[in-house]
Amino acid sequence: MVPLQYYLLFSAAMFCIGVFGVLARRNALVYLMSVELMLNAANVVFVASSAHYGTISGQVFSLFTMALAAAEVAVGVGIVLVAYRNFKDIDITNPTSMRW
Amino acid sequence: MALPALTPQYVLGLAALLVLVVDAFTPTSRKNGLLAGLTALAGVTSAGAAAWLYAGGAGRTTLFDGALAVDASTSFFTAVFGCVAALVAVASYDYVREEPHQSAYYALVLLATAGMSVMAAANSLVTAFLALELVSLPAYALVAYLKRDAGSAEAGLKYFVVGALSSAILVYGISLVYAATGVFGFAALADAVAGNAHVTVLGAGVVMLIGGFAFKTASVPFHFWAPEAYEGAPAPVSAFLSSASKAAGFVLAFRVFLLAFPLAAFEALGIPWTLVFAVLAVVTMTLGNVAAATQTNVKRMLAYSSIGHAGYALIGLAALSGPTSSDVAVVGASFSHLFVYGFTNTGAFLVVALAERWGVGRTFEDYAGLARSAPVASAVLAVLLFSLAGLPVGGGFWTKYALFLGAVQSGLWWLAAVGVVNSALSLFYYSRLVKAVWVDAPDETGVARERPTGIYAAVVVAAVVTVALLVAPDVVFSWADAAARALVSA
Repeated sequence: MVPLQYYLLFSAAMFCIGVFGVLARRNALVYLMSVELMLNAANVVFVASSAHYGTISGQVFSLFTMALAAAEVAVGVGIVLVAYRNFKDIDITNPTSMRW
Repeated sequence: MALPALTPQYVLGLAALLVLVVDAFTPTSRKNGLLAGLTALAGVTSAGAAAWLYAGGAGRTTLFDGALAVDASTSFFTAVFGCVAALVAVASYDYVREEPHQSAYYALVLLATAGMSVMAAANSLVTAFLALELVSLPAYALVAYLKRDAGSAEAGLKYFVVGALSSAILVYGISLVYAATGVFGFAALADAVAGNAHVTVLGAGVVMLIGGFAFKTASVPFHFWAPEAYEGAPAPVSAFLSSASKAAGFVLAFRVFLLAFPLAAFEALGIPWTLVFAVLAVVTMTLGNVAAATQTNVKRMLAYSSIGHAGYALIGLAALSGPTSSDVAVVGASFSHLFVYGFTNTGAFLVVALAERWGVGRTFEDYAGLARSAPVASAVLAVLLFSLAGLPVGGGFWTKYALFLGAVQSGLWWLAAVGVVNSALSLFYYSRLVKAVWVDAPDETGVARERPTGIYAAVVVAAVVTVALLVAPDVVFSWADAAARALVSA
């Protein structure tokens, strides 16, 4: 069996790729995909630790995370659409009418 | 009569469905009043049920195999959420009257409130996370509710972008805590963290959890969505988010850190999380108040002041020191601050809603001389703002006093000093607005103002409760004390 540390390293790498996408991408949809990547990095840890500890709760949580990710995308794409109608663009750095 | 422990949550959830059912059966008729009434009734009923449950004194009830636990803190905060939701619904009656999709609006408010009250009952990281998302997802949609308005769309986009990121960070934090301990339940976590062998993983997880809570409570470092979201959102939604949603984030943070991550165990591991919260409290309150002092836009000033108030409430987590009596005092002070703030801040944002409805502009100058055409609303605004600043005109005076006293008693006199300086600074910008409204001369004299009944009723109730809490604070403070005791000595 592969030790838990390797899964943690793998998921940390996934998470970092997601963070990079969040910081570097300006397209709202790619941003959403990067967030999905971060959520899935968490899923890897849940499932791997679940197997490591021999409990099932982590796997159940990963199902919740997937459902949440779907719900979040449903709301998110709706908001991106609304933003597109107002700004004719889905670049998240564009709407800047409010600044401190 | 023994109510089920989750009665308030059931009421809110069922009312949300009922609102949608009513709309499904009568899609074309005008029913804004009915829907607003249903929402307000559900809010008041759930608050009443929460008070009933508290008065019944059931102690701590765990449900669903320990996934939820109802105690005095649950009922205390459910009362806050129910009252704020009712105020927001009554004010929305006037605000969304001409907007489409009213049933969705009210249903989302109710769903978010239901999520908040489940957050206040969470007893496992699973339910905590799901309840938090049940608040976040409706809130994104509510902020973007005025979808033809560029400001609302921009606010919704920014809120969603930061929210999605922070919930991903929160989930990753939960996964790391799980990797280190193998459990989700708060009680099991409290056992599993003591002497845990995977300190690095656990510590990283806890830091990420703090990040997730900082988003919900609009604290540094995830505060920057708040000014945009509150400014662009419909004003009743700003009121709802900045008081109820913030209080929900705090009650969850208190539950997680008091029940699942006991301070003593973490100090033994070398992760003194109170220090993190102390730093966050100082940075949050200073940033919020300094930024608020530089604003020219009223709604944005209130948004930054709301960040500042998150900093005050964080003192409750920062000033924990170990002895039960002092911990109960400071956590109780934080709880009652959130209670008073729930009414005061909701009222202040609803006065802005009133001004938006009148077509008054957004800046301080636009508010000049408002007292001549709308004396009642202006008087209410003055009371609310001075209570937010901590002057003895409202309950905010007692709660700030208790918070700073609690910090001093835990040896964090510097934290209290920063708090006092910040309060003085906040008095500066609050009184700027009061001066604009009461002293400055208006551009045009003799404007006849319409009197939207709903918003007026909501702001007057908010002000009356705020003042009543100055005169008779013990009703709420004893409840807050019991709520704090339920968490500290659980």
